[in-house]
This record gives sequence, C-alpha cells and structure tokens, in this order.
Amino acid sequence: MRFPLDNPIFQFFFWLVDTPGLGGLFVGLIVVVFVSVAGSALRWIVRGGQADESETYAYPTPALHEH
Amino acid sequence: MLKVEAQDRETLMEPLFRAGSGFYALALLLLAVIGWGGFVYLRQITDGLGVTGMQRPAYWGVYMVNFVFFIGISHAGTLISAILRVTQAEWRRPITRIAEAITVVALIVGTLQILFDIGRPDRFLFVFVYGRLQSPLLWDAVSVTTYFLGSLTYFYLPLIPDMALLRDNLPTSAPPWRLQLYRLLALGWRGNRTQWLRLERVIAAMAVIIIPIAVSVHTIISWILATTVQPGWHSTVFGPYFVVGAIFSGIGALFIAMTIMRSVFHLEAYITEKQYRYLSYLLTTMTVIWFYFTYTEHLILAAGQQEAEFPVLASKLWGRYAPGFWFMVGLMVIAFWVLVLPGLSPERWRRVRVFQPRFALASAVSAAIAVTLAFLPQAQPVTAGTGMVSGRTVLLMVAIVFAIGTGISVLPWLKRHIVASTVIASVCVVVGMWLERWTIIVPTMTHPRLIAWAGYKPTSTEWALTVASFALFAFLFLILFKLFPPVSVWEIAEGRVVDEAQAQLEVPLPESSTPVRRGWGIARR
Repeated sequence: MRFPLDNPIFQFFFWLVDTPGLGGLFVGLIVVVFVSVAGSALRWIVRGGQADESETYAYPTPALHEH
Repeated sequence: MLKVEAQDRETLMEPLFRAGSGFYALALLLLAVIGWGGFVYLRQITDGLGVTGMQRPAYWGVYMVNFVFFIGISHAGTLISAILRVTQAEWRRPITRIAEAITVVALIVGTLQILFDIGRPDRFLFVFVYGRLQSPLLWDAVSVTTYFLGSLTYFYLPLIPDMALLRDNLPTSAPPWRLQLYRLLALGWRGNRTQWLRLERVIAAMAVIIIPIAVSVHTIISWILATTVQPGWHSTVFGPYFVVGAIFSGIGALFIAMTIMRSVFHLEAYITEKQYRYLSYLLTTMTVIWFYFTYTEHLILAAGQQEAEFPVLASKLWGRYAPGFWFMVGLMVIAFWVLVLPGLSPERWRRVRVFQPRFALASAVSAAIAVTLAFLPQAQPVTAGTGMVSGRTVLLMVAIVFAIGTGISVLPWLKRHIVASTVIASVCVVVGMWLERWTIIVPTMTHPRLIAWAGYKPTSTEWALTVASFALFAFLFLILFKLFPPVSVWEIAEGRVVDEAQAQLEVPLPESSTPVRRGWGIARR
C-alpha cells in the first residue's frame, strides 16, 4: 500500500499547509484583495457622480431605479 | 446642495454639534477607566503574566472569555443588519447603523483581548510571519481580519450620503475641522441617479457577502477550541453553537445600545415599539435555539461518560463552576420568561391585585432574603446520618417559589412596557452569554486530559482590563455617534416616502372560496 505522502500532489499539499510564513502571505493576500475590491467599488461609486445628470437627490426611492 | 428635512436635521444632525457637561463627564470617566486599564496592562507587560491568575494548565482565562464574547456581540450588527437588508425588512432602517457600529467597535475591542492574553505582545506578528495554513489560530486571524474589513466597509458605505448631507447642511457654529472631515468622507457625493444606483448595488452585494463571512468568523473561533482534544471542547456542534450564541448576544447588545441611543438622542419617533417587537421575536427564537444547543452539548458529554470529559461536566453542574453555570441558565430562563409570557397573559389580569408591581417587589425581596440566608456561613451539623434535604436546599426552593411569584406578578407591567421588558431580557442575555463563554473555556482549561487539574481565579489585573475593555467599547461608541448620525438619515427619508406610498394603496379583500349555493342546494363552484 502506498503511503499518501509518497504522492507528489499530497507532498505539495503538505508543504502548502505546513510551511511557516505561507499563512501570513495568505492573510496579506486576502487584505490586498479585499482593500483593492473595496477601493475599486468606492471609486466606481465616486465616478458615478461624473455622469451627465443635473438632478440630484438627498435619498433614493425604488422608483429611481426605473427612472 | 442636498436638502434634509427639518425633523431629521433637528433630531439626527444638530445633537452631533452640541455637547453638554454630561457628555464631557462621561467621556472623562471612561477615559479614566481606560487609562487605568492602560497602566495595568503596562504593569502586566513589565511583570509578566504572573500578575494574572493564568498558570499551568489554565493558559486561557478572562481575556479569552472576553475575546469570544466581544467577537460574539459583533454579530449584532453586520449579520442582523445584513440579513434584514437582504430580506428588505422595512423596519430595519432606524437600527442598522447602530448595529453596524456595534460590529466595528466590538471587533476592535475583541481583538485587543488577544494582545492582553499573550505575555509577549511583540510576538503578535509571529502569527503572520511564521503562520502555517494548518493552524486554527491563523484561520482565526484570516476570518477576523476579513470580517473587520468587511464590516468597516459595510458601515461606511451607507454613511457616504449622510456625510454629504452633513457637509451641505452643517450648522454655522460647527468647527471647521468637522466640515473637512465630512467633505473627506463624503467622497464628493452628489446624489445623482447613477451614484445612487451604484451605491445601492454595492451595499446589496456587501450585505450578501458579509453574511457567510460573519458565520465563518464564529465557526472558526469555535474551531480554536474544537480542533483540540481538550475534554469538553472536541465537539462537532461547537461551530453552530458558537454562531447561535453570537447572534443571540449580538441581538441583546443591539437592544441595549439602541435603547441608550434612543434615550440620549430622543429618537422615540424613529426607533418605535415596532422595532422592539419585531426584534424581540428574533431574540425569542434565538433563546430557544440557544437552549437546544446548550442541552445538546451537555447531553453528549453526560451520555458519553468519558473518563476525561465527565469531570468537566461535573464541575459545571455541581462542582466549582456550578454557580456560574446555573446563574447563566437562570438568566436565560428570565430572558425567555420576560420575552414570551407577557404576551400570553390576558389583559384582564391587570385588574387582579396580585398582578401589581408592589407584589412583584415584595416577592423579589423575599426571594433575595431567602438566597442570602441560604449562602450565609452555616455550622456543619454533627450527625451520623445523611439528611435528605439540607436547610440550604429548602431556602433555595423557597427562593425559587418567590422568584416565580415575582415573575408572575410582573407580567402585566412587562406587557405594557415592551422597551423595558426587552432591555431586561437583553441584559440577562448579554450577562448570560459572557458566563457561557466562561463556562466553556475555564472548566476545560482547569481539567486537562494529561496533567494535574488546577484552579483558576482571575486577579485584579484581569478584572481591571475587562472593565477597561467595556469602557473602551462605550468610549468608542460615544465618539462614533458624536461624529456620525445614529440613524441613517437618507434611509429614514426613503422609508418615509415608501411608507406614505404604501399607506395610499388600497388592498382588496381576498376572493372568497366559499361555494355560493343557489336554489335546490346545487353548488355553483
């Protein structure tokens, strides 16, 4: 019977979960991705203000979506 | 320039620029407590964790209890707010901002507990530098970080239009830095159609994303315990049990926070009895689910009769930690009673003499006297026989009877005061949930599998940092709502228009299904 860790794929997985520092990189990756996505969303909202629309509203209503 | 209605300006915006002596006194008091906590923490760093009650094998104590507790109440917010937003519950509008603020503040204070818990805070970054993906501690760092970033974004997004409203409607007496702050945070918001559509789309997406993140956070916190083989922790039910507890305590914290804000800002026209009633249904449901999970968790330990696990259960049920455990159960029973039974009591009970507050007070005092007598030091009787019933048991039974009498007498009053009754229930839930975290962590820590058992008693250092943590929570809340409106102004304005439109609708009666009989008894349909 072959031991699973003889298989290169399992060896890779073991390296992945057992290497010090990779966890920190993973946290860093999540932070970078999250901040980038949130930043892009905010930028998208801000750029919406440049649309050629003269009317502004203090609050929306469901009717604004079909306006 | 965006306009705001006079009522909203007067109630929600102008108080942000007024600060009486009460505000400064409270802020100074809280700062003093936080300062004391800072001093105690510095002493802990210089002297080491020996100043705490933590020692082999109880490496986790009150700090860890506080960590799980604060991360738990952080679910108030985002999860409740997000669920209500996703389901388009209209009544959510006045309470979402307070709920979201609880999340952000609780996550900050909760994460601080980890720093308190480690003797060498300079090694905190080692979690990231040397962190391996197989470590539950790292998963915790991932989930809490993601949740904090998500919650902060989710708190900020609905704030943008309000920042623009404040920017455009700033009182003349406001200091210039306020204008700079609101201008910066408004991100040049105009409020045109495209911006509204984009903002609402992003908020909706965040509401959907934040729900699984919130669920994962408390599940992963439970994994820190459940992935070990410590007696009493190695349980598959811990994930959902922790999530349920988190939502439960979160709703309790939300009730308390929204009542304080309602009272301080005079928000009675915004946060009405409707919010209390609907949210109390949710709290009642969570109470029942919490009881179910607590029963399940302890049933499995009791039925297993494992050599290492049973002492943990015994210490909770009748051992050293029994007072905390049964006090927790008692508080949850009171919460359930206060939430459910007033609704079941008939209106005519108000006219019956026994259902008067003075009878409730008399019963409560009698119960308190009985409890006090029960726990007074008693001389041990010198006897060869074993008495079936001790004097303490009799006194406790008497106390329970009087307590039930109190609960019954107070029912009509609770029915008339829904705000007070939900706050009473919430205080019970929040205190009970802190005790629940205590009874999960400490009994297991003091009854390890391999080495000798030990006791754990928190020291004044731990209590001081606990009190300072709660003070920090209150202080951050105080500052947050001195800068931002406690209720989302634009969402309230939108809700008002929607309510008015719905009030004009005339909904017809449903079509009758009763067969219409004609002559000769023949049914037409």
